[in-house]
Formats: sequence, structure tokens, C-alpha cells
Amino acid sequence: MLTVEAKNVDFYYSDFHALKNISLEVEKNKVVAFIGPSGCGKSTFLRILNRMNDLIDGTRMTGSVLIEGEDIYAPNVRVDELRKKVGMVFQKPNPFPKTIFENIAYGLRVNGIKDNSFIEQRVEESLKSAALWDEVKDKLKKSAFALSGGQQQRLCIARALAISPKVVLMDEPASALDPISTAKIEELIYELKKDYTIIIVTHNMQQASRVSDKTAYFYLGELIEYDDTTKIFTNPQKESTQNYITGRFG
Amino acid sequence: MRHLEQELTALRQDVIDMWRLVISQVGKSGEAILSFDKDLAMQVSMREKKVDAYELKIDNFCENIIALHQPVAIDLRFVLAVLKINANLERIGDFANSIARLLITHPSISLDADLITQANLREMVEEVKKMLVHGLEAFENEKTSIAASIFSEDSVVDELNDRAAHVFAKYIEANPDRAYECLHLISVFRKLERLGDHCSNIAEEIFFYLDAKILKHSPKI
Repeated sequence: MLTVEAKNVDFYYSDFHALKNISLEVEKNKVVAFIGPSGCGKSTFLRILNRMNDLIDGTRMTGSVLIEGEDIYAPNVRVDELRKKVGMVFQKPNPFPKTIFENIAYGLRVNGIKDNSFIEQRVEESLKSAALWDEVKDKLKKSAFALSGGQQQRLCIARALAISPKVVLMDEPASALDPISTAKIEELIYELKKDYTIIIVTHNMQQASRVSDKTAYFYLGELIEYDDTTKIFTNPQKESTQNYITGRFG
Repeated sequence: MRHLEQELTALRQDVIDMWRLVISQVGKSGEAILSFDKDLAMQVSMREKKVDAYELKIDNFCENIIALHQPVAIDLRFVLAVLKINANLERIGDFANSIARLLITHPSISLDADLITQANLREMVEEVKKMLVHGLEAFENEKTSIAASIFSEDSVVDELNDRAAHVFAKYIEANPDRAYECLHLISVFRKLERLGDHCSNIAEEIFFYLDAKILKHSPKI
């Protein structure tokens, strides 16, 4: 079953043609990694999947993106509703200046949920899913800023999971973390794919090969190759992909 | 040149050096048997340690490259292929040594020169050497077309070995008192035939490295 279907997507920052005719499908409960050199369009494409680029002046998109069969760029789509379905985790941990508990509860409250016992239950479930519960269960009332960088990033993942999204987008989620925290995030991604579809942008090719089922290689706004990760990292079909992943690029 | 490329280039050179040594070992051990040259046989035996040292060095080199550089795609296939080519070359070196050692461990053995000619030992040695040389050419020039020729050459070696078996059978029937010497010659042919199989294995690895094709346990192209 397809969770994400992008068809003939073109994207422009004013006159700059940033994405060229991208078509890509993501199956449910799979992890897909986007790789490519800086400026290749991978993060732009990731942000298209939850309409983050709508906020940037002078941008224009053509083509269509379906999430679970629904065109997310259709005129009747509410962006706040879309973002319940498509969560996002950023490069730098960005917890709210609130307690650990309130960081998770916030998304539920702004979505109108007032039932405190349900909120408590969701906070615990989300923190458990993000492999953080055991480390924070006794300090839920403490500030999120008291956590380490790696813990803050898992808190942000827990926050994204609290509203039960279908897709979790991750833009370089471990690039600001130490190796142990990175390993925890990678383990977490592996665990989370049982329940979510995950798309991750990463500059770390070993990370892409470790965590993903499929890999998409972008270059100069084009999707050069999209295939099973094992295939991309053992026998890529395009020379450009091979040059990039073996480090001969440029 | 970036670091990994330097490492891979150095590894490639070690493999080429080992390959040349092994070709020389096979050629010399064949020549030793053909000309009953014990000194030459001793030379082969002495240099066997050098082949073994290359094997250990290349294994260690591959292990370090995988651990430190995490190669992917063609680089990964190259290192994996080299690991297996290395093992095959070392076995070929062993066979060359064991053929040469026949003259050292049995210094009084007298091999019938006519029988050697009839059994086509020289052709057998030359054909196996050709396979090894073609393997090296294919590896050095990155050409699977050269590697492909090794599969047909292996069939020629098998054919020579089969024909020699009939020659030996007839010889033993006619000269039962010389069966012992003949058995030694049969073992030389068996070793050369196995050596051809190792060359075929190497050719398969070259296809894996260059074209990502798995030819093992399947009809060859």
C-alpha cells in the first residue's frame, strides 16, 4: 500500500527551478532515505510533503502529492489537518520552553483534546515509542532544556508521534548529535517503522544505508535513482549515483 | 587522490604483485617437472612462503579498508572480490608448491619422458598458465571480455586431463611395475586441473567486481 505518491512535481524558488519532474512512491511502514549533495533539492522535496514550503514567498509548485490517496495540495485541504498526518523532526532539537510533559501534551491540547487522563496516556505512549520514557518518567515536570541534545531530539520525535501521524519526516535528525545519541535515533527509526512511514534526509550515507529500506538520490533538482537501499549501495544503476556514494563526486 | 582511492590502488598493486608471483610459481613448478629440475623445484618451494605472506597482507589490507572506510558499490565489490581472488591465488600457489615438492620428497623418482609427452603435460601447464595470465589481464585492465575466455580455457584443461587419464590407464596396464611413478604423474594432472578450477573462480570474481554479476553455480557466458 502506498502512503506517499508524488507525481511530476516541479518546484521553483522564484526563477530558480529547484525540483524537476519528481515522481516517487513510498510504501507504508517503510523507511526511505533522501541523499544527495547540498542544494540538490532533497530537503525541498521533504518539505513539500507537509507543505512547509507554503510559508516561503515566491515559491511555486506544479504536479501532485498524495498522502494515503489524498491530494495534499487540493484547495480544500487544511494545512493544520495535514500536519496531524505528516509529522516533522528537524536537524536541531527544538523543544518548546516548557516541561517535558507539556512538550508532548501541547500538540494534543492545540488539537482540542481536553481529557487529561487521555493526554497522560498519550504522553507516556509517545515517550515510550521514542525510547525516552525510562530516562524521563521521574522528571516529567522538569524543563525540556534540562535534557541532553540526544534526549531533546527524542523528545521532539515523541512530540511528533503524540498526534499519531501516518508519516514522519526527518530532516538530518542526528547530524547535531554525538555517536551514541545518533545510534539511539537510528535504532528508534528501525523500531518506529512498524507503526509509521518514515522519510529521512541525511548527508550521512552510512546512516542512510543502515536505517532505510529504499534510497532516493537527488542531484541538481532531479531524482537520479530510487531503488532498494541494498541495490543502491551495492550496485547502483547510474554512474552519477555511484560517483556520489563512493565519494568520487565532484 | 582521496584516501580510499589511494588504499584501493595500493591493494590492487599488492594483488597484481601476488598474481605475478603465482604465475611464476606455476610456470617454474611445471618446468621443474617437465625437465626433472630439482633446483628449480627447490626455488618454487622456497618462494611459497612469499605467496603465503602476500595472502596474509592482502587479507589484512581488505579487513582494514572495510573497517575504516566502509566502501560501497564498485569499491565494496572490488574489496570482496579481492578477498576471494586472494584465497584462490594462495591455493594455486599451494598446488604449484606441491607439484614442485614431488621432485624434492621423491628425489629418486624417475618419470617416463615419453609418458609425459603422450599425456600432454606441457600443453596442460601452458593452458593453466594462460588462464592465470588472462585472469591478471582481465583484472588489471578491468575487462570481463578477457575473464570470459578463462571459462572456455578451463574446458580445454578438463579435456586434457580426461585424455591424460586414458593414456595413464593404458600405460599402467602395459607397465604395471611403473604404476607408482605413474600415480605421481596422475596427481600432478589432478592438481593442474584443480588449479584451472581456481582460475575459473577468479574469473567469476572479476565479473562480480566489474559487472555485479553472480556467475557461481550457473552456466558460464
